[in-house]
Amino acid sequence: MDSLALILARFQFGMTAFFHFIYPPLTIGLGVLLVITEGIYVYSKNQDYLRITRFFAKLFAINFVVGVATGIVMEFQFGTNWSQYSSYVGAIFGAPLAIEGLFAFFMESIFVGVMLLGWNRLSPKAHWVSTIFVAIGSALSGVWILVANSWMQTPRGYKIGLNGIPKMTNFWHVVFNPYFPFEFIHVITGAWEYGAFFMAGVASWFLIKNNKDMVMRKALKIAVIVGVVVACFQIVFGDISAKEVVKYQPTKLAMMEALWHSKRYAPETLFALPNNKTQSNGPHIAIPGLLSMLAYMNPAAKVMGFNKSINYINHKYDLKLTPAMFPPVWIVFWSFHIMMYLGFYFAAVMIIALILLLKNKLYDNRKILKVFLFSTFLPLVALELGWFTTEIGRQPFTVYGLLTTVKSVSPNVSASDVGLSIFMFILIYITLASFAIFLFKKELKERLEGKDELAGEVSNKAKANANAKAKEVLS
Amino acid sequence: MNLNILWFILLAVIILGWSVMDGFDYGVGGLLKFIAKNDNERRYVINSIGPVWEGNQVWLILGGGAVFAAFPFVYAAIFSGFYLAMMLVVWLIIFRAVSFEFRSRVESTGWRNFWDSSITVTGLGIALLFGVAIANILMGIPLNKEHIDYQSLFSLLNIFGLVGGLISLSMFLMHGSTYLIMKTEGGIQKRARVFASGFAYAYIIFTILFLLLSLVFAQRLLNNSFGIIGDIVPIIMIIGGIGVIVSAKSLKSDIKPFAYSVLGIVGAVASLAVGIFPDIVPSSINPKYSLNIYNSASNHLTLFVMLIATIIGLPLVLIYAFYAYKKFGLKVKMDESSY
Ligand code: HDD
Ligand code: HEM
Ligand code: HEM
Repeated sequence: MDSLALILARFQFGMTAFFHFIYPPLTIGLGVLLVITEGIYVYSKNQDYLRITRFFAKLFAINFVVGVATGIVMEFQFGTNWSQYSSYVGAIFGAPLAIEGLFAFFMESIFVGVMLLGWNRLSPKAHWVSTIFVAIGSALSGVWILVANSWMQTPRGYKIGLNGIPKMTNFWHVVFNPYFPFEFIHVITGAWEYGAFFMAGVASWFLIKNNKDMVMRKALKIAVIVGVVVACFQIVFGDISAKEVVKYQPTKLAMMEALWHSKRYAPETLFALPNNKTQSNGPHIAIPGLLSMLAYMNPAAKVMGFNKSINYINHKYDLKLTPAMFPPVWIVFWSFHIMMYLGFYFAAVMIIALILLLKNKLYDNRKILKVFLFSTFLPLVALELGWFTTEIGRQPFTVYGLLTTVKSVSPNVSASDVGLSIFMFILIYITLASFAIFLFKKELKERLEGKDELAGEVSNKAKANANAKAKEVLS
Repeated sequence: MNLNILWFILLAVIILGWSVMDGFDYGVGGLLKFIAKNDNERRYVINSIGPVWEGNQVWLILGGGAVFAAFPFVYAAIFSGFYLAMMLVVWLIIFRAVSFEFRSRVESTGWRNFWDSSITVTGLGIALLFGVAIANILMGIPLNKEHIDYQSLFSLLNIFGLVGGLISLSMFLMHGSTYLIMKTEGGIQKRARVFASGFAYAYIIFTILFLLLSLVFAQRLLNNSFGIIGDIVPIIMIIGGIGVIVSAKSLKSDIKPFAYSVLGIVGAVASLAVGIFPDIVPSSINPKYSLNIYNSASNHLTLFVMLIATIIGLPLVLIYAFYAYKKFGLKVKMDESSY
């Protein structure tokens, strides 16, 4: 194994995970919103809600399939690029992945077919139930992949066996490792937040063109009502996640906050240019005592700095890590801080929108519509940056305290092999993303042009049309 | 029976589930360009698998996850050892998955032709590579003492591997054709009957060729752990093939050819399982370095937990699938939400 192969493998994993995670959050988030809008339709029989559901279901379908295609890469990549990792922790880490397939992906993928192609074959209620299954399935896939990931952050429920390899000793300790509950809640809430902003952004696009679009007004209303709740809670959940980091991963916390030396009255740094070489922050803005307060509810509490935290880890796990083995602090610092700032921004936008909604001024206020349009994909940025914080902040471990990244990589895969596959992935992913964007735009444009062959009377015509075509085939 | 043997059997069941449930998706995909002449026909063919292929594909993911959890060393050795081949499969799968979804959304001939070709090429490619990989594993791969394999992509392309690939290719195409007999009517169905018996012939011929070659390349098939009973298992493959030929020609039943095709696949998976047991990945360097159901497995608790999960989960999967297939009926009906 040479170090170039390792660097490339890390890059490839980060890139493919980044790309995969563009899609599932929208599946999870939009899935829930579809359940809500279709539910309103089923109970109120208001065709507008059916229109919303069917329109967003089209976007959902495009997004879903790219998520599936990129997810399969992830499933195999542990074996291809991280074979030593896989044989070392497979007995524990593999279990949630297999369970995810069995309990989540099947549910989601079977019902997604029923949902997307079954509009005319199921009663409205039965169709709604399929939509619910899709939403539950996608949330469950979040559950199990995050069981796997959180276990890497705070491994529990295992014992090192005679052959030096961890054995599972308690399945429930593996599942409910300390990180799991709030990692899951934070990620899933982030996905809902993205779903809400996505729906709001798309609806705003239509409303900017035509603010008498009653269907999209309703979509925006739903998105704002869901979004305001989710966005406010997300700040709370983010804070709890940070407290978990304080407890279990002192090295990550030090990098997130660019805190080089242990301190009482530790400051919350708002802006800095952290530099690993000089171990300093350059020009910076900081609020004294706030970090201690946030971490321990006590402004006088001592927070562990970067160097101290490495000593602490070395001592605790009997290792010999040096500061040079850690990633550049600025990446973790800025990933975390931009996510946090975005979190406050989202809550602010949603609260303002809610006030406008209550005052009945939301749909005519072009400014807020433009803000929504601008913010459509920003939650995705926050989501990805959150993962950068989590994953890069975890370095140099793959399994915190137990296995380092250097010891995880496949020894038999050469740098040129990984290089070639990275090249191909970049090509394929750019192609996929372009097609997806193209189709998204096409769906938007078609609807704008009034092609709404969906609900009610128009659909009968389409049905007749399809029947005629089918007869042609059969004859 | 201990948990290791049970998991070996469950793995065979998952491979069987994948081959039977997803196999016809690849087969139908591979046939698309040849069996359907115009856009309407192609849509008709695609919609025979339209509502279900996504669920079927999960069998493959489940297979990956199950090997990872139950036999992590196998997962690590095979996927890193076959690095570029695995990547190739992954790329094909990516393109295949999006092709179905993207194809019908734009009404230009060029666009549709592109995705139709993609569906066909990826279907054929995956069907072929699957058999190549299996045949190479049967033959043994150069696992060293640490169970690591340093061979290159090209060493997979040998005559035995190729014939293995042709078996799986003809098997999936046969399976896809019989599926179309079951799901379609009219002209497509007529053509599917011809294709089905043609590929069944190919399946039988390649199977026999493979068995003959195995006397040179993979004697473990003959010297399997089950003795004479193990030797006759491959006959099921041939019976299945003959059944397809006979029933595809008679116009009595639309379902029988599919049933025989399933039998043929059962024969193939059973032959594989019987031939390789108790190893999972034999080493061609030294039998001592082979990964078998004991030295590659997870510890007892993991296997037990996974077993419980399977006992609860698999019936649920079958219920969902049954529901989906039932809702869409036996014969394809097109409507405005079809692909
Ligand atoms: C819309 C998405 C979103 C928003 C607005 C926020 N986060 Fe976040 N955050 C995530 C989406 C996310 C995430 C992608 O879901 C992560 C990555 C992995 C994880 O557990 O959640 C994450 C990780 C993450 C971590 C690292 C946890 C770990 O190492 O496991 C911390 C400390 C925070 N977040 C804290 C916050 C704070 C204080 C926020 C501010 C107000 C905030 N997040 C907003
Ligand atoms: C989906 C969002 C995710 C993103 C954007 C992401 C990002 C990354 C990045 C950037 C790296 C490289 C870190 C480095 O080498 O400095 C990485 C590594 C890794 N991640 Fe993630 N990750 C995600 C989710 C997950 C999940 C859910 C798991 C496990 C279930 C996981 C497991 C790993 C492993 C095994 C590595 C390789 C070893 C390592 O470098 O630590 N990741 N990820
Ligand atoms: C890095 C580790 C990851 C692996 C190995 C992985 C694996 C997969 C696989 C194999 C699929 C295809 C499933 C299908 O065919 O239905 C998939 C899709 C999906 N994944 Fe991931 N995934 C990872 C990260 C994540 C994360 C972090 C989340 C969410 C929190 C997530 C949520 C989903 C969802 C909801 C789907 C369904 C398809 C979609 O939503 O677009 N995955 N993933």
